[in-house]
Amino acid sequence: MSVRIKGTEAVVHIRWIPKYTFMERVLHWAHSAAYIPLAVTGFMLYAPWLTPLAQGQAGQTIRLVHRIMAIAFCAIPIIYAVSEPRRLIMNLREVFQFDKDDILWLKAAIPYYLLGREIEMPPQPRFNTGERLNAVIMVLGFGLFGVTGLTMWFGKGIVPPWLFRTAVIVHDLTMIVTLCMFVIHFFLAVAHPLMWQAMVSMRFGVVSESYARKHHSKWFYGEKRARELWEKHKAEGIH
Amino acid sequence: MADKLAMLIDTSKCMACRGCQVACKQWNDLEGWTYSKTANEGSYENPPDLSPQTWTRIKFIEHEGTDQFRWLFLNEGCFHCTQAACVDVCPTKALKYHPLGLVTFERELCNGCGYCTQACPFNIPRLDKSGFTWQWKASKCTFCQDRTTNGLQPACVKTCPAGALSWGDREEMINKGRERVEALKTERGFLNANLYGEKELGGLGRLYVLTERPSIYGLPEQPNYPISITLWQKIIQPVGGIAVIGTVVAAFFAFLISRSNIRMEEVE
Repeated sequence: MSVRIKGTEAVVHIRWIPKYTFMERVLHWAHSAAYIPLAVTGFMLYAPWLTPLAQGQAGQTIRLVHRIMAIAFCAIPIIYAVSEPRRLIMNLREVFQFDKDDILWLKAAIPYYLLGREIEMPPQPRFNTGERLNAVIMVLGFGLFGVTGLTMWFGKGIVPPWLFRTAVIVHDLTMIVTLCMFVIHFFLAVAHPLMWQAMVSMRFGVVSESYARKHHSKWFYGEKRARELWEKHKAEGIH
Repeated sequence: MADKLAMLIDTSKCMACRGCQVACKQWNDLEGWTYSKTANEGSYENPPDLSPQTWTRIKFIEHEGTDQFRWLFLNEGCFHCTQAACVDVCPTKALKYHPLGLVTFERELCNGCGYCTQACPFNIPRLDKSGFTWQWKASKCTFCQDRTTNGLQPACVKTCPAGALSWGDREEMINKGRERVEALKTERGFLNANLYGEKELGGLGRLYVLTERPSIYGLPEQPNYPISITLWQKIIQPVGGIAVIGTVVAAFFAFLISRSNIRMEEVE
């Protein structure tokens, strides 16, 4: 894509690199569209100060909404696995891979995201540590929500009460962890100034070359070259 | 307001006429057959279990003691615990404590989640699953809250012709029960006679004079408030709420800080 800068002859060329497929983007937004109502309706049963919304017919309606959304929520990974199994396996392999750079990333993340100090950020592959943590938690969340939710929905009176109560507890804990992760993900992906291309990539499926070079250098340059460049940058103190 | 009220059930006097079952259905306007059909299944007891339409019933136990076969009759129903797990897990406040010692139930508030049915150590509340999955309602004995909070006896007590059921001040009921247990032990030779419910779960509103050990009646010897409910209600719920709200607040301030430190003109 080339953009002519207004009032001048200068033309900026932006090279866009594909990051997500169309199906991935659709399913990502479907996931948000299912997760948010699930969290809201679930919280009405969970939080004592939302009790009036959980009572009587209102409560029966939110329980219905929760179940309908749960079906959509559980359908998402299945649709992905059926439609793009190779992408799913590739992505799963990438997100479950952690190394010592991720510890450096976690250390550098707070000064980077709050103050814009970039120098300490280690090179990252296609998904950075935060993205991978988010993905791992969501994948585990799918499994735990699915198993405990089905137990609570269909297992009442069939499974022993202690198992039902355990399922409720695990469901609650999964909600707490995924909801905290969701809030952080929302902050970084939607609100954070440095991450403006997150929305671009989830809308159009691409990131710019300069963004990929800066934020995902292991993906852009390859592991070895990215590390060399990082060492050089650190030695020179270039931001 | 009066002190706590309680029901004393002297099982040694019960003759299993099931007048209490009928009176309960009549006063509380419960259908006779929707759930558990009136079927005999290898026993004289009928219906076979508590249900959303059967809040009390006589359980028949065929007890073969050391000397001879004997029927034991147990009037089943809600225990109205002082520490009631069902009240603590209810997310709608349909189940509530009443100062008179009842665990009351407001059907209109119930949303049918069924947590109470999975929390009760005595398996008393039942879920009316006659609608679609989201239209369910829980149901249980309320000690005829409309009668007892207006100075009347519960319908079952009122009707009992054998004098097995009595209703009144909890202390009086306990004293009466103790006297009866003593009499059963010394005069009638029921050496295992005992009073059930005096201390269990903070004190039960349903007190039994039993002639045998509670386990013989299918009652838990030591009913427990499930520890998983303490963990769930007292720890996970507040901690989880704080964690989520804390994350939202932290993310908001992180946003403000990052906005003041990062200039968009320099961002690639």
